Amino acid sequence: MNKKERVMTTLDHVEPDLVPMTEMSIDTPHLETITQTRLTGETSLQTQVSADRTAEMNKVATIVLAYRKLGFELIPCDLSAPDGWSSQKNPDGTMTDEWGRVLSYDSKCRAWVPTDSIFAMPEDFERFPFPDPYATGRTFAIEEMKKNIGDEMALAAFIRDPFAHAWEMFKITNFIRWLYEKPNFIRRVIERIADFNMAMIEQAADAKVDLIISGGDYSEKRGPLVPVRFFKDVVLPNLRRQVEAAHKAALKFIKHSDGNLNPILDDLANIVDGLHSLDPTAGMNIGDVKLRYGDRLVLMGNVTVDNLCRKMKEEIVEETKECLRQAAPGGGYILSSSNSWYTDAKLENCLAMVHAGRKYGAYPMELQALSKL
Amino acid sequence: MKTRVEMALAQNIPPFKIIQSMREGLSKAGRKYEEGEYFLSELIMSGIMAQELSKMLKPYIQSSRNQFLGKVIIGTVKGDLHDIGKNLVSTMLSSAGFEIIDLGVDVSTEKFIGAVEKENPDIVAMSCLLTIAMDEMKGTIDVLKQTGLEKKVKVLVGGRPITLDFAREIGADGYGSDAIEAVSAAMDALRK
Repeated sequence: MNKKERVMTTLDHVEPDLVPMTEMSIDTPHLETITQTRLTGETSLQTQVSADRTAEMNKVATIVLAYRKLGFELIPCDLSAPDGWSSQKNPDGTMTDEWGRVLSYDSKCRAWVPTDSIFAMPEDFERFPFPDPYATGRTFAIEEMKKNIGDEMALAAFIRDPFAHAWEMFKITNFIRWLYEKPNFIRRVIERIADFNMAMIEQAADAKVDLIISGGDYSEKRGPLVPVRFFKDVVLPNLRRQVEAAHKAALKFIKHSDGNLNPILDDLANIVDGLHSLDPTAGMNIGDVKLRYGDRLVLMGNVTVDNLCRKMKEEIVEETKECLRQAAPGGGYILSSSNSWYTDAKLENCLAMVHAGRKYGAYPMELQALSKL
Repeated sequence: MKTRVEMALAQNIPPFKIIQSMREGLSKAGRKYEEGEYFLSELIMSGIMAQELSKMLKPYIQSSRNQFLGKVIIGTVKGDLHDIGKNLVSTMLSSAGFEIIDLGVDVSTEKFIGAVEKENPDIVAMSCLLTIAMDEMKGTIDVLKQTGLEKKVKVLVGGRPITLDFAREIGADGYGSDAIEAVSAAMDALRK
């Protein structure tokens, strides 16, 4: 069974030969250490910051090299900025992306992160030139990655969830204020971003991706960021539209979210094909989710990212074994951390997770070997 | 809300009583959030409304330090640009009656120290999300000790990777695992 077959078998809830592994993303310093290369160009985990295709090709090649070295089976790829686009550089050293997010440079992670917004009031959005999903070049990185990997690994198009995208665009305090003061406005924005995403899913399918992963958080550690009724009325119906677009193109759809998803888990299980990251620090228990939804949901996670930063290798190995023990039997499980490999994660811990995944992740699961006893 | 405040003022209800009611309401919202009845958006919206109410009443209240429970300098430490948690704490502290000087994100030790010297606050509150930025908190506390400023201010720390043990280890006076705890920690710090 090759790497891609391993993922596709897993997505069909059948046990492959080995538990497939991946990471949603790996920060630049770790990518460079793993590949012993230098990344050129600018990057962000949340958005596109450049349409410099030479730099993008370098980034794609570096990510592919890293995922190959790690033996990962699944490789996610961001959308690209359209041909000829460039970010707006601001006098204070920040930049503004295509979505009106103002980004500052994080020198430790060597990435641009959203810190502000151009939207001070809802009327600013009416004047805002909404990004055109059909602008050429949006699947440049995906096509480049497909050229690099062929059918070696499964390729996931990484899109941004409309709910999270909207609160990142407006900043969370404005988003919440407008949610209560102008709920129809927020509804309209989320619908519009979902329309954009549906067009992107169609184009990603044309570029021969194997699945869709949707990033962006729904919850914090105590529960959903906004009342469940808003999820049921607005967020989840728009999630469903995107999932249907993916299914129409015969692609499975995995939803990522940090935080405690338990209050909306039933609804999510009826919409998406898989869940990442099953955040243990927010009370998400992968064993419980497997027990309740394992026949419907592919689970992806959930070695605690905070533990990758703080704990010892031996503890990471035990935690990885526990994830495998609880989530791998019967298939439908992809091993990863509970978010991504941050700059502050110890690389030796990340590699310990990978080695443990390979050592103990062979089917049929030897549950005794995975036991702590 | 604006109409209700105007009605209260027209009925000669003293502004400080309106503010007191607002703080009680906010405290209730905090409890409901802690108990799982309120979602984060409801807590944040309560804070936004409280801030607006405070602004509306400002002309009616003589400007003096006495109207505040205390002055807090707050910022996300150097090397970290995350501000959602810091902003939430800032909003909740402000609504609870603290005067807030928000230094923003990526705040160096020098900037914290300069602000302490200039503003003479009661509390310095430091936030971070990234583990690699945690040492900055200790660095700032060390300089506060070296310069003797530590005797004049209490230091609170918080953020995703911060634990009570870490707070104690670096010599912080208080710690909050979320915005609600941060307000309690600030109240406790004033009593120390």
